[in-house]
Amino acid sequence: MSKNTIPKENLLTDDQVATFIANGYHLVEPDFPDGFNESVCEAIDNLESHLGNGILDAAPILNEVYEHPAVRGALMSILGEDYSMNGHRNLHTNAPGSNSQGWHQDGTNVRHHQVRTVLAMYYPHDVPPEMGPTVIMPSTHLRNAPTDRLQTYGNLKGQVFLAVKAGSVAITHYDLWHAATLNRSDRPRYMLKFLFDRNSDPTAPSWNHDPETAEAAATRCIRQIGPQGYCSDYYKEWELRKELWLWMTGDGEKVPQGAFKDMLS
Amino acid sequence: MDSEVIVGWIKQAKERCDAGSLKAEDFDELLELVDSSINSNGRARQRLLYLHATSPSIRSNLIGHALHEPVEGSTAHQIDPLEPELLYNCVHDAILDGWRVIHFPQQLAPFEDREIDIIGYEFVLEKNEVCDE
Repeated sequence: MSKNTIPKENLLTDDQVATFIANGYHLVEPDFPDGFNESVCEAIDNLESHLGNGILDAAPILNEVYEHPAVRGALMSILGEDYSMNGHRNLHTNAPGSNSQGWHQDGTNVRHHQVRTVLAMYYPHDVPPEMGPTVIMPSTHLRNAPTDRLQTYGNLKGQVFLAVKAGSVAITHYDLWHAATLNRSDRPRYMLKFLFDRNSDPTAPSWNHDPETAEAAATRCIRQIGPQGYCSDYYKEWELRKELWLWMTGDGEKVPQGAFKDMLS
Repeated sequence: MDSEVIVGWIKQAKERCDAGSLKAEDFDELLELVDSSINSNGRARQRLLYLHATSPSIRSNLIGHALHEPVEGSTAHQIDPLEPELLYNCVHDAILDGWRVIHFPQQLAPFEDREIDIIGYEFVLEKNEVCDE
């Protein structure tokens, strides 16, 4: 697998990577040229629906989204230098008058506590709150939660609506809980969901890493307690985040079996 | 129609009985009240409120809710960008507002130390009320 190259200023910082580990998402706002997002919308408007994986062939302009240095820098920071685009992708259209989806994790319940795949959700137009933004629940990416068991949840404290400006790309851990919400506007809300994969285990940080300050940044981010925090869970969350941080910095072998007990000592 | 109105009638009737002024027409009024109560109860439907709390205690903080109105067209999921606030701070607050708990969560937390799954503990509450379509 060939390695990607990118100017260092486009890579994430320790703080941003640790925050991604804690929250499960990172928002990128690339500086696309004037008219770019409008061109994407025009290309999409003229497509047949349900193209599935064929969306990239039908609208090759989308390559430019995921080739933008800010997007590539974030992906490289999270997935390593040899990350690659997954073959699965889709255009998600949230039609006017829709109801909200139920909370869900994508795929089936074969979860892990690393970062093997991310979703990169691109919004080619402004998404105001009334237009059915995607909602995500921070810090749920390390939970192995069958989607059926999430169907009695409605509004959750701490949920984040991706009411974003045109061109935004939300990069989320593959397992982060998310849903489309009700679209009260008279226009369809578009979202391009592309997947990206890690191709090798980390051997060193693939972001702008500063060994002098990294540990403090990591500890500060890892020891956050969200609104859903209660003691049985947040101890485990802290430990899983700590293990993930060590793994991403290339120190995964330092994670002992039963590391949860070590954290308490 | 709640039972308080009928209890009110009985108290009044007792006073009239003591005063010797109770009449047959007063019982017609009681019949109307009872009829009205029966009709009202017949139209009452079950409102359901799912509350998700951070512990099995009814005093613990809520982290989620979903209200299901017994009317045509109410939606299954209610993640609303324009109304994201929770209705109550804890299950006890909902009880004070007239909701009855009909399902309590299991007290047991998961014992697997290296896994986390769903969020919180689920209570289900109900109110029987006449609802406008």
